[in-house]
Amino acid sequence: MSSQGLSGLPGLRSAPSLRDRAAQARSERRGAIIRSIDWLLILSTLALCGLGSLLVYSATKQSQIDHQLDPMAFFKRSLMNVAIGLVLGLVVAAVDYQYLRAYAPVLYVASLVGLAAVLLIGSTINGARSWIVLPAGFQLQPSEFAKVALVVGMAMILGEKRDDSRFGVTSAPRTRDVLLVLLVAALPLGLIMLQPDFGTTMVFVFVILGVIACSGAPVRWVVGMITAGVLAGWAVLGMHLLKPYQEARLTQFASSNTANAGSTGYNVDQAMTANAHGGIFGRGLFSGSQTQGQFVPENKTDFVFTVAGEELGFIGACGILVLLTIILWRALSIARASEDTFGLLVAVGIAVWFSFQAFINVGMTLGIMPVTGLPLPFVSYGGSAMFANLIAIGLLQNVYRRSR
Amino acid sequence: MSSSSRVRTAPGRSSVRITVMRVLVVSLFATLALRLWTLQVLQSDHYQSAANDNRVREAITPAPRGLIVDDAGRTVASNRTTLVVSVDRSILDRQKDKGAAVLTRLAGALGLQPLELVARTRLCSAKVPQPCWNGSPYQPIPVATDVSPQKALSIIEDPDQFPGVSADTQAIRTYPFGALAGHEVGYVGPISQAELDKSPDRTRTDTVGLGGLEQQYDNVLRGRNGVKKLAVDRFGRVSGVDSSTDPTVGDTVVLGTDMKVQKALQDALSGALAHSTGKADSGVVLDATNGQVVAMASLPGYDPSEFVGGISQANYDQLTNPDAGTPLFSRAYQGSGAVGSTFKPFSLIAAVTKQGQSLDANYDCSPSLQVGSQAFHNFEGSSAGPISLHQAIVISCDVIFDKFAYDAWLSDGGLRNGKGPYAPAQEIFVNNARQFGFGSQTGIDLPGETAGAIVDRAQNVHNYNQLKASYCRRAKDGYPEVKDPTQAAQFQKYAQEACTDGNLYNGGAATQFAIGQGAYLNISPLQLAVGYAAIANGGTVYEPRVAKAILNPDGSVKQVIKPVVKSKVNIDPTVLDYVKNALGDVTISGTAAGAFAGFPLQQIHVGGKTGTAEVQNQGDTSWFVSMGPLPNPKYIVLMSIPNAGQGAKTAAPAARQVWEAIYGIGQPAAVPNGQTPTKLPAIRADGSAAPPRRAP
Repeated sequence: MSSQGLSGLPGLRSAPSLRDRAAQARSERRGAIIRSIDWLLILSTLALCGLGSLLVYSATKQSQIDHQLDPMAFFKRSLMNVAIGLVLGLVVAAVDYQYLRAYAPVLYVASLVGLAAVLLIGSTINGARSWIVLPAGFQLQPSEFAKVALVVGMAMILGEKRDDSRFGVTSAPRTRDVLLVLLVAALPLGLIMLQPDFGTTMVFVFVILGVIACSGAPVRWVVGMITAGVLAGWAVLGMHLLKPYQEARLTQFASSNTANAGSTGYNVDQAMTANAHGGIFGRGLFSGSQTQGQFVPENKTDFVFTVAGEELGFIGACGILVLLTIILWRALSIARASEDTFGLLVAVGIAVWFSFQAFINVGMTLGIMPVTGLPLPFVSYGGSAMFANLIAIGLLQNVYRRSR
Repeated sequence: MSSSSRVRTAPGRSSVRITVMRVLVVSLFATLALRLWTLQVLQSDHYQSAANDNRVREAITPAPRGLIVDDAGRTVASNRTTLVVSVDRSILDRQKDKGAAVLTRLAGALGLQPLELVARTRLCSAKVPQPCWNGSPYQPIPVATDVSPQKALSIIEDPDQFPGVSADTQAIRTYPFGALAGHEVGYVGPISQAELDKSPDRTRTDTVGLGGLEQQYDNVLRGRNGVKKLAVDRFGRVSGVDSSTDPTVGDTVVLGTDMKVQKALQDALSGALAHSTGKADSGVVLDATNGQVVAMASLPGYDPSEFVGGISQANYDQLTNPDAGTPLFSRAYQGSGAVGSTFKPFSLIAAVTKQGQSLDANYDCSPSLQVGSQAFHNFEGSSAGPISLHQAIVISCDVIFDKFAYDAWLSDGGLRNGKGPYAPAQEIFVNNARQFGFGSQTGIDLPGETAGAIVDRAQNVHNYNQLKASYCRRAKDGYPEVKDPTQAAQFQKYAQEACTDGNLYNGGAATQFAIGQGAYLNISPLQLAVGYAAIANGGTVYEPRVAKAILNPDGSVKQVIKPVVKSKVNIDPTVLDYVKNALGDVTISGTAAGAFAGFPLQQIHVGGKTGTAEVQNQGDTSWFVSMGPLPNPKYIVLMSIPNAGQGAKTAAPAARQVWEAIYGIGQPAAVPNGQTPTKLPAIRADGSAAPPRRAP
């Protein structure tokens, strides 16, 4: 457009040479690539990842020094996770849109294999068998990748173009499609419930609900599923279907102040204390007494938000919330602008996944949500989660590129 | 967006639902931000203190306890450091066998009995009797003091064998004078839970005064513990010192008591026990001019050191055993009884000032006085004919005072069991006694003093109403638990009398009151000394004081404990002088002349009054109260020796010994020129006490 405008003003410029034309074409392509990137999404993600690594650094520094280890070890590993995740995300973003659909079944099957493997050879951490320990100190958490697979798999099924007698070509799913997608989602969901990983189970449930709701499925399905969800939740708590520690975590947040170290109430008390200790402006990075004194357990992973709360204060903590909101807003914008239902549903699924997970995670450090062991997207330390999160950003970028 | 894509998607429904999701997302995150604001801004104060509680631990550096020094700067109580081996119950309890093996090994290493060690380290409770640990389960229990460094090292270098056992140096109280003035000095012990709950500024490891001056002046002696506020992490590891205050040494309490006079008093008391049938006795040396306690003792006594590091049950039983004379109990200010003829000066004052008896008249000292069916005899039935009141004191005539009291009782309406109406009873002897402080606490700066008792008509009715039921039950059932049948029958007779007319003010007892006998008066040696001091000093009843000043750790004066006037008796000085005169002749020509034979009364005129108090079912208590040098006495010296017969025989010679010590008769004087120092002792740079500087 710009070159046209320039060339439309003869006399001001000499006629472009061949070499100029070639340069112009390159520039146009570059411009196209640059324009095809959702900068707001990417920059927010990068900012969050960078901030997360700093918070992980602050959370781990003192403990590393106490054990005479490299104080920056977790900072470096966190940055490495981000770098690997960015490469993965870049690959996903660059893959041809059509291939995404094609690979969806492969991804789905692979995640099922991973979830099955974790039940067979996984290690139990904090009551859930969620990790596969690899050589050289690496751990793999298949359920994180399963979230990606679930989103893509559901989008593939519900985004199929269908013939409809009344509306012609449409992709609004029929009851048959909804049943199929429920069946497809039920398999990984069941495997995760077996670990048992309550938090991820809930992420799955909400993603399934959100994706089906936005797929254009009949209202009765949406209402029916919400009703079923509420009833199931009531039944689970009412009939004590959960393991005691899970039930304790779920109900504890309503009645904290249990000073018992190691108990859920203790974790939440310490988390709230650390958050509140930050005040408006925070105690300064690396200067929070609760954080540096290691009073908040798991504060490089599940409770990383408390580091922001204490050391960066209300301003910094809200900064994280704002960055997350921008990412989610962009994801939903991408969904709306998607050229097809597949893209729309991928973006919606990712948005539901992130928003639910972030709300539960932050809410738990503020004492208004149960402790469920979900990481804060892009911020918590953890390779698998970081990879899955950045792959999801890659997917969003891919959908965005195609919506132009 | 191309038009074809619109056809392929299901825009309407999805678009609305995406909008709904946007609203949801924004409201969820707004909720989080709101909650953050509540926590970080609105409730930040609450969590601020929670955060500090989290990370700040207090480490207490105990303050060295202040000194107690006598008037000449002699150290009566101070501190020394010792190696103490302690056992942490909370760690022992984590052992499989609750620490039995550790304690057995420890007993071996320390040369103790394993069973004793187990008993001393168990926690006291309703079901667990002494010996046991009365402190907090989290407080290390000291099991051995003065452990040799070699032994202590062998224990702490082997933590695998001795988990929960620690050895560290502790300042412990030391009492260089041992049992001298033990009752007055008192003792220290670990703080009790009740005390801890009461005073939030105290800590579990505190040592507190539990008796005597250590208790009375605990708040100045204890100093202020140093507190190090340590910043710690979750594992209790110290990451820095948040704030730190050094311990402040406790203040020094300077006594008016002089340990040399105290020694003379205790020597005289123990000498009296050795030369009489007495088993226990007590004495007081009081500065008549200001109420300072120059010496006070009760034998048998105790050495406060016995309590340091916890007293054993056997020792404690011994200290509270009546058969051993209840050494923990000070007869001088915690016990009371009849005081015999030493009470006569007060009766003289009452008779002259309130009954109109004359100092110039003579009264018949007949052999006996008939009161109703009772006849009151002079001591050993002696008769002296008509004599002055002066002489009545000198030779200690009973009947004259019996008659005064009987007349007073009659004019008050006697028993008052008739129809009446009666004018209000004057009760002059009782009220006069009260004036001199009898029947109420002296207000001495020592805990646990007795008030004694002076029983008037109202008090008698009050007592009767309280005890009537018990009297009447005993009147019927008798005393089956009393083994001696004659004694049981006697008790039952008393109970029958008390049951029927115990509310009536007994004329016999009222008569006896005037000569310091009977059921209507109980006076402590200290009270009696204070009363005599009031006669000596012209009528001022002082609250006696053991301490006379409090010094700051640097030796500067924090507080001079000034004499406190409890009351002033409103009595014509000529009457008091008359009494002093009479007392002065007691040692020259009266009942104590024998005891003071050879004493240089011309230089140091000591006057006094003997007393022989009759005690039910026991031997007489031998009393002697003296004052000197007359006419303006400086000191009151009082001796009370139960079970030792006549005052003249035992108590008076013992008192003479004290006078000789004070004024250096045949020996160096305990106090130079017989004067206790008026200047306060100094505190040296090293914190020890030095004698007062000589007056310039």
